[in-house]
Amino acid sequence: MSDENDEMNIDEGNGVVRRKGRGFKSGGGGDDTGDISEPRYERLEQSQARDGDTGKAARSVEGWIVLVTNVHEEATEEEVQDKFADYGEIKNLHLNLDRRTGYVKGYALVEYETHAEAKAAIDQANGTALLDQVLACDFAFVRPPPSGPKQRGGGGRRGRARSQSPSGRR
Amino acid sequence: MSYEADPFYLRYYTGHSGKHGHEFLEFEYSHGRLRYANNSNYRNDSLIRKEMWVGPLVVKELKRIVESSEITKEDDTNWPKKNIVGKQELEIRVGDDHISFETAKIGALVDVQDSEDPEGLRVFYYLVQDLKCFIFSLISLHFKIKPI
Repeated sequence: MSDENDEMNIDEGNGVVRRKGRGFKSGGGGDDTGDISEPRYERLEQSQARDGDTGKAARSVEGWIVLVTNVHEEATEEEVQDKFADYGEIKNLHLNLDRRTGYVKGYALVEYETHAEAKAAIDQANGTALLDQVLACDFAFVRPPPSGPKQRGGGGRRGRARSQSPSGRR
Repeated sequence: MSYEADPFYLRYYTGHSGKHGHEFLEFEYSHGRLRYANNSNYRNDSLIRKEMWVGPLVVKELKRIVESSEITKEDDTNWPKKNIVGKQELEIRVGDDHISFETAKIGALVDVQDSEDPEGLRVFYYLVQDLKCFIFSLISLHFKIKPI
């Protein structure tokens, strides 16, 4: 590959965006199957009956997932468990590690069975400290918007469709 | 700006076409929606496509992981080109940067060390692992399926 167009500065509608990478040249998306139509993605259907008014939060298959951020890189699973067990029985805890350093990446995912437990964890633990770092807590999942997101993503992916109808899409 | 209106976009693809057909794994975040697709024809596994809507804190954490990696400072010009074994694509729009990197599959860290741009490729390699790790946790907790 030559480096004739390493960087392109393209106005994407809201200011100049610096574009970079071979993906813009190949015009391909990963999905080379050739189907143009939008495939169907499965989602969890939400019913409110079970937990009453849950606001914007969405239930997962077996419970409610709380995301905790700004977790100290040296926090242990036990410390996170201890703190969040105060609000209900923890069904699942993911405290993932930074793949390069091996330390905690900085977030935890905590699963509770009921909306009330998850809500209590969010309301009471958000803004509190763990190992001197102030945590942020919120529901990981929300209900889908009524109409779905606008069909507009990054751009490179749309390359295949664009090649069929260069100006017809936007 | 609400997080749904934020142009932040992220897509990762890895795959190849071979005797089991087109086998790939892809995830994409766009305007509050996270999508995951996995097609492995091996052992008669079928196509899985899942989507979920994530809250603002998830988006903030995704962005933090992307930004702290400084991936947008890298360039894929000297990375190994896609080949018969397959390819990986990473497309990210964050702030004023929009990258769409394409490279070969990386089997192990030794492939990174032996490449022409080990420092840049290492950033890519670890970012992809950290993103997969976060997104697979979200998927497995939400749907109770094991990605890959």
